[in-house]
Amino acid sequence: MILHKAKGTRIEGKKSMSKALPLHEYLNPPFVFIPLLQQATPLKRIVEIGDKVAIGQVVALREGFGAMPIHASVSGTVTAIKKVWHASGRMVEAIEIQNDNQNRMDESIRVQTDISLLSRNDLIAKMQQAGLSGLGGAGFPTYIKYQTKCPIDVVIINAVECEPYITCDFMLINAYPEKLLKGLSYLMRAADAKKGVIAFKTYNTDIKKNLEPLLVNYPGIELYEVKDIYPAGWEKYIVQKITKKTYAGLPAEAGAIVDNSATAIVFADVVAENIPLISRVITISGEGIKNPQNFFVPLGTPVKELIQLAGGYVESLNPMKAWYIAGGPMTGRAILIDELVVNDTLGSVIVKPMPDEKHHPACLGCGKCADACPVYLTPTEIQRALESKDSQAIKELNAQKCMQCGLCSYVCPSHIEISDYVAKAKELLRKGA
Amino acid sequence: MARFANGKAPFLRKADEKTYGTQVIMRDFLIGLLPLIGFAWYKNGIKVYIEGNATFLEMFYPIIFIILGGIISMIIEGLFFIITDKEIRSFKSLMNRLSLSYAMIPGILLAMILPLYTPIWVLIFGCIMATLVAKLLFGGFGYNIFNPALIGYAAIAFTLMGVINRAGGALNGSEVLVDAIAGATPLSTLSTTNILSYQTLVAPYGSLWNFFIGTIPGALAETSALACIISFVWLSARKVIKWFVPVIYIGTVFILSWLIGIISGQTGIWFPTYSILSGGLMFGAIFMATEPVTTPKNPLGKMVFALFLGVFTVLFRFVGQYPEGVATSIIFMNIFSMPIDKWTGVIRTEGVTKKTIIKIVILVILIIAIAAYALFKASSIYTATIELPLIMRGWN
Repeated sequence: MILHKAKGTRIEGKKSMSKALPLHEYLNPPFVFIPLLQQATPLKRIVEIGDKVAIGQVVALREGFGAMPIHASVSGTVTAIKKVWHASGRMVEAIEIQNDNQNRMDESIRVQTDISLLSRNDLIAKMQQAGLSGLGGAGFPTYIKYQTKCPIDVVIINAVECEPYITCDFMLINAYPEKLLKGLSYLMRAADAKKGVIAFKTYNTDIKKNLEPLLVNYPGIELYEVKDIYPAGWEKYIVQKITKKTYAGLPAEAGAIVDNSATAIVFADVVAENIPLISRVITISGEGIKNPQNFFVPLGTPVKELIQLAGGYVESLNPMKAWYIAGGPMTGRAILIDELVVNDTLGSVIVKPMPDEKHHPACLGCGKCADACPVYLTPTEIQRALESKDSQAIKELNAQKCMQCGLCSYVCPSHIEISDYVAKAKELLRKGA
Repeated sequence: MARFANGKAPFLRKADEKTYGTQVIMRDFLIGLLPLIGFAWYKNGIKVYIEGNATFLEMFYPIIFIILGGIISMIIEGLFFIITDKEIRSFKSLMNRLSLSYAMIPGILLAMILPLYTPIWVLIFGCIMATLVAKLLFGGFGYNIFNPALIGYAAIAFTLMGVINRAGGALNGSEVLVDAIAGATPLSTLSTTNILSYQTLVAPYGSLWNFFIGTIPGALAETSALACIISFVWLSARKVIKWFVPVIYIGTVFILSWLIGIISGQTGIWFPTYSILSGGLMFGAIFMATEPVTTPKNPLGKMVFALFLGVFTVLFRFVGQYPEGVATSIIFMNIFSMPIDKWTGVIRTEGVTKKTIIKIVILVILIIAIAAYALFKASSIYTATIELPLIMRGWN
């Protein structure tokens, strides 16, 4: 149908900035801070100040829905419980661990010898024990997705990374192509799926070059190229493209499970060596950073140290006239103080000078926001309904479908915060319901 | 530790680029007017001068008239801001404010759709109606419900057309001398004779080719379909307007006119062609029906809007005896932009489901009913003369 063809908008990638330098491993920061928050769920701390911890030792528990353990990412001593800035834009309590640089491993970390004997349930249990969560940015506990009752045909690895600046998945895949395929084959076993697909953007020819020769050893895995548009990395978009099926709630309804490439790579280690989720790759980029690059770091590393390793801020940077963005530039959050720590959902930190302020005219009604919307909303109408507090109209206009990709604000020629109105309308619906 | 600025996602905005934004859209829109202004100057100025029917200074009058329209509008809007806006203290802040509200556009558009010999005071009256009444009193740029230029035009058309006609009307210095034209535009001939005949409707002006090029009597800058099409290509390529709005609008008028012709006994393709090439339809479809502020915002709404426009234009043009139809139908449909937007916004995101089917059915029935009524009425008004073979003409 002409009205519902998949679409997106081309946005300048600016990815070459952080691709120039190789992946920088920074495994032993003097201190790490494990935030006591996973997604929006507060964690229960199970270590006390003064306790000695080893890498991979459980230090906190997520309880209730999505229950799973959270592990220490370095070995050392718990020295304090203090508040740190978190990617959610708030200050949260964190366990401060002083690194003793001895890299002592917890006894749970050992090489798994009987991988081929592990059943589907064993693999799912391993995901839970490893505290594996979606590393793409949502942080959803992975094992929940694999406990689905729906039959799964295909596991899709989302390596699209459609937001500008971010290259962390790209760097990680090119560093560990074999691990990605291994991780995916384990994920397929955990889902009883016959097929695995790795989706990436067409211009990422390096990924193709690195993965293609290895595919012969992994039957059932294929590569899938998506167009260089935003939001091509949107889960629904990829699932619709690959399975040709649509769904309302979860991809499992269309027989698919989608995981981030970094999650698959971590899962390869989880299965082979029982190493839980303790590290990730993060992109430090933006016009405000001297040498933008990617870092492989233990979770809880202060971002400040990484920025220093990346040469610090450029001299001309005036922080009051710049943004410090946790996450991608399209969906991320402005953090007011540069005391952020790396957590599982933080894929990038972008430091970017603000553009010059201009006077912008009122909405001229060009309708570019409605044109750009990937879920075919009419943001101007939602704004109108919001201003008159008409929650019935907001519901009819399907504001709940909005995934906050930010494209409407991006294309607005009058610089109106139109996606903010839609987000507020969505909020109003949630409160009303 | 450094403190950073607060902000809202997305942190990238296309509007921050120099080559994108409302300013650029408006600039492109003005550039899109140039082919028409150029043609108006050629037809009503240069050509008349070459034919010896105008003095050298008179040659520039069409251009001056259009620019004057823009200046008058700016002055009115400037005065309005000085009186009402306390924040305007200096000339610079006034100019800044005017540049953000695109004050000159209604005046320019209005001047382009008025006859050449409109007295200046009538133009001023039209600009006041357009800028002050239709735009500023509604809240200024972005808040007006009706197309300002068309409101100005309508106000003049309903009150001062006699003054304009006495002052010289639409005919330029050369056209006045052609007997066959007899002070009428092609559409007014149709509404007075009620006969669909190539001989009376097209032949006095040469051929349909002249209609296409635009060398027929009519308002200052709206007669040339060719110039309109050039503008259309430019504006669509620059994404200032949606290409399908004019196409649907003109296409609807074409098909319905053809049907009216067939019902009346005139099956020639010339009649619908004549219909879409006259009466400012091209101009209205490309510049007025696509005007963003006063038309629906979402693409589906724009399509529905254009369809309604086509149907109403045919109704007003062929059933109402007023020889225009374009301006009236656009002003009339402006009222319904908001409800159309609301309905199509829901239909667009939902698709055809139980929730939306009633809305879709109502829209479809409305369009078909109005079109059927227009066809039915028109068929009882118009007759076609069957052209006699040449050899028999001398005998009767």
